[in-house]
Amino acid sequence: MLHEFPACLPWLRDLLRSGLQLLAGGLLLGSCQLIEYSPNQAYVPVRERGQTARNLQLLGAATGTDTVRFVFVGDTQRFYDETEAFVTSVNQQRGIDFVLVAGDLSDFGLTREFQWVNRRLAALRPPYLTVIGNHDLVGNGRAIYQHVYGPLNYTFDYAGTRFILLDTNGREDGFGGRVPDLPWLRRQLADTAGARRTVVVSHVPPTDEDFDPALVSGYTAALRADPRLVFHLSGHVHRFTAGQPFHDGVSYLTTYSLKKRRYHILTVWGARQFRLETVAYGLDK
Amino acid sequence: MRRALLTTWYKPHALLLALLALPLLAAAAPTDTDSVAVLNRRADRPTAPRRWYLPNHLTVQTGGGIGMLSIGTGLSLAHDRLDLDVLAGYVPRQHAGTTLSVVAAKAKYSPWKLPLAPRLALTPLSVGVYTSYTWGLRNPGKPGQYPDDYYWFSNTVRVGPVLGSGLSYVLPSTTAGHPHKLTAYYELATNDLYLISYAQNRRALSLPDIATLALGLKLTF
Repeated sequence: MLHEFPACLPWLRDLLRSGLQLLAGGLLLGSCQLIEYSPNQAYVPVRERGQTARNLQLLGAATGTDTVRFVFVGDTQRFYDETEAFVTSVNQQRGIDFVLVAGDLSDFGLTREFQWVNRRLAALRPPYLTVIGNHDLVGNGRAIYQHVYGPLNYTFDYAGTRFILLDTNGREDGFGGRVPDLPWLRRQLADTAGARRTVVVSHVPPTDEDFDPALVSGYTAALRADPRLVFHLSGHVHRFTAGQPFHDGVSYLTTYSLKKRRYHILTVWGARQFRLETVAYGLDK
Repeated sequence: MRRALLTTWYKPHALLLALLALPLLAAAAPTDTDSVAVLNRRADRPTAPRRWYLPNHLTVQTGGGIGMLSIGTGLSLAHDRLDLDVLAGYVPRQHAGTTLSVVAAKAKYSPWKLPLAPRLALTPLSVGVYTSYTWGLRNPGKPGQYPDDYYWFSNTVRVGPVLGSGLSYVLPSTTAGHPHKLTAYYELATNDLYLISYAQNRRALSLPDIATLALGLKLTF
């Protein structure tokens, strides 16, 4: 209809056309997100899917170095203001290969929470990688995590180190003996090609009451049997702990939640050498 | 990590039950069909006036957190200013990981009605609350799965405010009686979990972040 407008009113025609385009664009772009069928829905736009694969592609391969240096932080759940401050702080660091978030990205396992977190963490200069937490598994969080990030159990190699990340949130599975997936873990630990060190990352540490009690001994035995293991990293407890709770030479570390305005920088090199730095930021607020 | 019980007032199940019970209470109220007054009224007029406790409209809606498609019915009280609706909604598995069924109750108050044309009227503002219950979640939380107060929130019950407006068109009447009316409406809503996220992150989150949109049609008969 617009082309039938009188030629003497081109400005009005242009105004109407741009207004209509804006309206149509706004409705198409905005309403897809705005018209929400359920807070538990698992739909996200294509550009927000597969963040794990996307970040691993960004990470690429280390060239000519045996050292990996990464930020290690825990639960981002419902701490969006704090997440922005965290991103600002990490972006001021130099020589960070990637950021590792140890689960509980969301608090209620809702799609919008995953989007709120991802949109903020996507502003990190280094790529970031995640492991699933118990809060990410409530409701339909499992499907949402799979959409936004990818597999619940996965591995990647960087600078001679194999990172094994897995779901240990046994309570969310009703302690059914399936989580963590021990046969999968043993297979990854047995695959020694291409990496001289191993780091295992999970949300719930095996010392916690939310870890399936029937699988604690199998899990710790698998880790104990790996001579390449540097340490085991977890979140969940919202504070820093480090020790060898099973008195078997295996070091278990946990890290802060975003609320604590602290994070760790871990550097791993050599046979099983590592250094732990703690960064505090914005504590005055 | 478990979260402390932040809100002791938070009893979504009780609110849901109360809202769902409203239409039932209304239906259970006056059934004195054989009273003299009603007989007289019937004798005076050829068509009986609409009984206030009977549903007088049907709605069909998309979005608003209660379904890709939800169908409802309800009554209008207080000179059609107060709508009490019950809706049943559906979200397909492709969109949610599992197939979700939702039942919602909604109370909406519309203080003004502006006539625009002989058959057209605008309801500029409606305010209300809704609550919903969702079936079909993969991990809704089973009894005994968690220690007490492990998660303070409910996975299945949502409560939230609703804000909207609508445009009504009086349909050409077919038979004698009340003229039918078709209303197109939209609603902006949010829910308890979005609200608490917003309240605790005023810098990072804005109202558009937590808003949901519903588009619907309502047939008043």
